[in-house]
Amino acid sequence: MIGLTPERIAEELRGYSTRITEGMETLRNIGEIGTGASPRDPVYQEDKLVLYRYQPRVAEPHSIPLLIVYALVNRPYMMDLQEDRSMIRGLLDAGIDVYLIDWGYPDAGDRTLTLGDYIHRYIGHCIDYLRDRYRQDSVNLLGVCQGGALSLCFASLYPDKVRNLVTMVTPVDFHTPDNLLTHLIRHVNVDLLVDTFGNLPGGLLNFAFLSLSPFRLAGQKYVDLVDILDDAEALRNFLRMEKWIFDSPDQAGEAFRQFAKDFFQQNKLVKGEVMIGERRVDLRDIVMPVLNVYATQDHLVPPAASKALAVHGGSQDYSELSFRGGHIGIYVSSRAQREVPSAIAAWLLAR
Amino acid sequence: MADKTDTATPNPISAEFLLEQMRGYVAFGEQMSKLSEQIHDTAQNETDWGTVLRQNFDRFKAAIVESADNPNVNPELAQLWTQTLDIWQQTVTSLKGVGLPGEETDAWLAHREVQTQYLGLLRQSAGAALDLMEQRLSERATTGKVIDSLRELYNLWVDCNEQTYGRMLRSIEYSEFSGRLFNSLLRCYPKGAIVP
Repeated sequence: MIGLTPERIAEELRGYSTRITEGMETLRNIGEIGTGASPRDPVYQEDKLVLYRYQPRVAEPHSIPLLIVYALVNRPYMMDLQEDRSMIRGLLDAGIDVYLIDWGYPDAGDRTLTLGDYIHRYIGHCIDYLRDRYRQDSVNLLGVCQGGALSLCFASLYPDKVRNLVTMVTPVDFHTPDNLLTHLIRHVNVDLLVDTFGNLPGGLLNFAFLSLSPFRLAGQKYVDLVDILDDAEALRNFLRMEKWIFDSPDQAGEAFRQFAKDFFQQNKLVKGEVMIGERRVDLRDIVMPVLNVYATQDHLVPPAASKALAVHGGSQDYSELSFRGGHIGIYVSSRAQREVPSAIAAWLLAR
Repeated sequence: MADKTDTATPNPISAEFLLEQMRGYVAFGEQMSKLSEQIHDTAQNETDWGTVLRQNFDRFKAAIVESADNPNVNPELAQLWTQTLDIWQQTVTSLKGVGLPGEETDAWLAHREVQTQYLGLLRQSAGAALDLMEQRLSERATTGKVIDSLRELYNLWVDCNEQTYGRMLRSIEYSEFSGRLFNSLLRCYPKGAIVP
């Protein structure tokens, strides 16, 4: 039943307009939106890749470093968005020595980069750098989303170099019935896409993500913004997230071609048919301890897509961490800060 | 050497963008205002709330349909449910390189046709969402639950649209359509035309 009168609606709209008008002032004075809360130092560079070491927050961090491999899609500062929303800070506080690969922004010169370049060369060189620096045969690896899929490939091809593997919201089986991204890309002519654009424009990826839930992501979210327009700190947090959402690097053409066709369209990862350069990826070769972290309400990487690792991986020490939340909430929600980094750190420290 | 922050950039949301969003919400509010007025008038002679709602909700649906048939009639109202098509068109416009393909080419006309089909799909989904919204309102009436804010009505409208749109999105037909949308755009460009 609608208990509204035209007068009541007019009053509500007047209040809404007033708050927008007043909020414009907050918006105008909000200043620049910064991201990245934790101090870090670049320790290795190759092409556009920069490997960062986050400054430890305990006197004696764990002796085995952790390398975070983020997705090629979007930017890795989601892992360290702001002081009270930082997966990385949580790991540092728990005594982990954290490194992260920043892939940078691919441009025309990168369109021939292949998955082989990303896995054998870039991840491989970062891992070797850490092995040398810490005088260890193997180090810990944490892959995020698509970065998790790349980490699975690396761990399968170089199991001796990975001591423990953590995957976060990582797709393994790309053909579970609820995988909407696969659904959208299944009939796209990927060869034509890459041959036309060279690199895949980040804007097309944004369209794909927004089109999954347009009424919430492109409408309601901004209507609700009125509720925080008078709160500069809340507004700054909102804008920081907006910045991340639309900060979409282009995707290196050849790497995207293989990822879209072999992983999304043909689901070769679980079939043991992915070739990285000359070498075949077999998930059964992942024999090191594995912690698979997934989000129960993830609309981009459904839990079933991640949990397939239990069936297809080769580790005898396989654990899962289920987080009640979504694909983004697992990094930035208050509960995630309390639950996720400490659980990952405890799992790593026990191994 | 320490590098504390990733980057600092200007605020990503402009005042113009916010005003555009506000106009959409106001357009929705105006329709709801008419609806509540009509419901109030009808209720003078009809005591069954379900009947009152049915009689008047059809006018709201008609306004939505009208905004679909001719977006110039009420562009702010149309924008509420055509935004995925709007985002697609903005994305196409923003693609760097040689710019938009010539609009006279057969390929471009074919892409325009696919966009028209897209609008048709969105229209169907929006129509189904209104049916669902009417049903939800009737169900609330039977339990005595009253919606007493515009925002609550808007949120209900969003929920219903997400539900019917999501159903469309998950269909095999939409998967095929998504391929056609991308592929028809790509055929507008000569191969390698946008390779930077």
